[in-house]
Amino acid sequence: MGFRNSLRRAKGNKRIKVIVLTGGGLLFWLTLFFFVYRILLYFSSQEIIGDILARHLLSMVLLIFFSMLIFSHIITSFSNLYLSHDLELCHASPATLPDLFLSRAFYTILDSSWMPLVFGLPVVMAYGIVYGAGLAYYLSLIYVSFPLILIAAGLGIMIIMLLVRFFPAQRARDITMFLTIIVIIILYLLFRFLRPERLVNPDTFMSVAQYLGALKAPDSPYLPSRWAADLLWAKVTGSPMSQMFNNLLLWTTAAALMVINLWMAELIYFSGFSKAQEAKRRSRAGRKILDKMVSAITRPLGSDTTSLIAKDVRVFFRDNSQWSQLLLLGALVVVYLYNFSVLPLERSPIQSIYLQNALSFLNIGLAGFVISALSARFIFPAVSLEGNAFWIILSSPVTAKRFLWSKYFAYLIPMLFLAELLIIVTNYLLKVTAFMMALSSVTIFFLVFGIVSLGIGFGAIYPNFKHENIAKVATGFGGVMYMITSAVFIALVVILEAGPVYTILSAHFRGEVITPLQWFWIVSSFFLALVLIIIAVQRPLAAGLKALNNYEG
Amino acid sequence: MITLENLTKVYSGVKAVDNLNLRISRGTIFGFIGPNGAGKTTTIKMMAGILKPTEGRILINGLDIAREPSRAKMTLGFIPDRPFLYEKLSGKEFLKFKAGLYGITGDALQERIERLLEVFELTEWADELIEAYSHGMKQRLVIASAMLHEPKVIIVDEPMVGLDPKGAKLVKDIFRDWARGGSTVFMSTHTLALAQEVCGEVAIVNRGRIVASGTSEDLGCQAGVEGDLERIFLKITAGMEQT
Repeated sequence: MGFRNSLRRAKGNKRIKVIVLTGGGLLFWLTLFFFVYRILLYFSSQEIIGDILARHLLSMVLLIFFSMLIFSHIITSFSNLYLSHDLELCHASPATLPDLFLSRAFYTILDSSWMPLVFGLPVVMAYGIVYGAGLAYYLSLIYVSFPLILIAAGLGIMIIMLLVRFFPAQRARDITMFLTIIVIIILYLLFRFLRPERLVNPDTFMSVAQYLGALKAPDSPYLPSRWAADLLWAKVTGSPMSQMFNNLLLWTTAAALMVINLWMAELIYFSGFSKAQEAKRRSRAGRKILDKMVSAITRPLGSDTTSLIAKDVRVFFRDNSQWSQLLLLGALVVVYLYNFSVLPLERSPIQSIYLQNALSFLNIGLAGFVISALSARFIFPAVSLEGNAFWIILSSPVTAKRFLWSKYFAYLIPMLFLAELLIIVTNYLLKVTAFMMALSSVTIFFLVFGIVSLGIGFGAIYPNFKHENIAKVATGFGGVMYMITSAVFIALVVILEAGPVYTILSAHFRGEVITPLQWFWIVSSFFLALVLIIIAVQRPLAAGLKALNNYEG
Repeated sequence: MITLENLTKVYSGVKAVDNLNLRISRGTIFGFIGPNGAGKTTTIKMMAGILKPTEGRILINGLDIAREPSRAKMTLGFIPDRPFLYEKLSGKEFLKFKAGLYGITGDALQERIERLLEVFELTEWADELIEAYSHGMKQRLVIASAMLHEPKVIIVDEPMVGLDPKGAKLVKDIFRDWARGGSTVFMSTHTLALAQEVCGEVAIVNRGRIVASGTSEDLGCQAGVEGDLERIFLKITAGMEQT
């Protein structure tokens, strides 16, 4: 319906844009489908272990989607049940509390579930096609996903109601801190449940049977995603075993959570909402040291840019929903670096020096994707972050160009620092050659220029100044388009460099001489990568500038 | 000085502002009044450089806001009807931020900020985050920030919304002082008593067009009504409804 409404509202060029961008989304969807399809085809060609790996993958995917759904419901229900501007009108209406709660919960479920569902669909479809599943499998997708979503919604809404019960909603500091901790715990549990390090190191198992056993038991039997995975696996493989137990578990848990939520809502929802309306506390401004640092760095850029960046830095560190995500960022970096430190390179059948350098090269892409994901959360919403106060910028003498450049500069520096940290430390852990260290440091340096530009540019093309929750801006259509474009950009640069790097390393290790034709190809590829980066820096900012100049709030 | 020439704004085929022509001289407090949906806010947003006109041009102190937006905006102070601000800044920080956008730096800035905070009775709250301010305090802060760069033209949309009687009197006095100093104040309002009290000239706008303009006395003559602006306004706009 949203798509139909978008089409109706759109005219001329805008209509084409909606169609083209939807086509882009579809392309990404199909790419994901074929990627999973190829993996599953490979698994299905492997005897014994193939099916186990495919089942393991299904469990992992469902666990990830289930976690995403819970977190998505936590974020959305906080806004929909306690902070939305229309809630005052709703509570003043004669609607009963259960009716009001149910309608907001229903809206929250619709709002939170579409993306994990849409992007989960190519995965489960690939399973159905590779394993030649019958109609029962496709039907089971409906009656499995429905209770799974309801369970995630029930848990997310319940967590929020309990948090607001004990902490007034306006004290978002405490709540977002709690949310952050919850996410870290979810991520930690997810990581521990998957126990990936055991699977890449079969030597730690006493026997093959134990290794297979570990693969067979990827997650806890108490997790709803596991019940769903068991059920879907049985359907996709046409297993005659009855899955009534798992089915009952899913539906009864979903029903029980809904009843408990309704019961809790009658007890604590209205008092929480009422507390949310209480006046905000007086709080004094601080962080003089940070202010001085920012103005020292940005002084050469002019008073307008300094003011804009200083304002963004202050707002970031005072908005708890923003800065608390730095904790997650820290966890992400630690896990990222930890993974490289435990790679069992010495046990690999491939010559270690080759593998180290190949991994270092792949690491460029991987670090690029990490930066890209962080940019989706922090940089894409940077323009929208101005919110309703954007009139201040529009009515000031600051041009849209200087406004965008100040945003670009403010985010470029920390992202460059982070990207180089990831690359240099992982390369150090991998003990790569000086050539790979230099190449990957330089490549990620220039990639970041493009990634940040894409983030700012897409953010300006798809601004949302009327958001109630900045975290939701990144999950909108523009955010998805940014992620896809950024991923394609990183992949293209890595692909363009892959061949030349392989040729240079091979020649180096085998003591061969690179022919003039090979040199031409190497230089051309690097030149193309450079051109691509220049386009990625220039075009999004230019398009963003045009969009802002034509913006009519 | 403000000049509007053939100013037109079309939204999805509907003319919100239709061929508006105005010339407002220095030192005038100009009232822009009209019923809901008459095109007042659209006109004001175009004058502040927030919206692009479909046709026509706007000169602020002789500078075309479309051709030289930065220079024109340097001489312009804008006060919107709703005081949306950066809630995580303190009042003082917001004023410093605004000063930075207008390139105002140096020792005199601090003094000017202190003076404005005092005039608008915000000194006690200067270091508190704006999120804790009441609506009226936010409105006073917006007005203070609009005067920070000592603009020659002030454009105000509904200036009295959220202000208590003391705040309203303060703002009226400030506008009068400002006009006496040679600045132009362009004010859109629904409060006809306010327009009658402070505005030297008034234009009544309806369906995007100016239907009458001049002093209150001029308008009374045009409408054939004696008395306050409210009666004149109702007579003129009622006539328009019937046509």
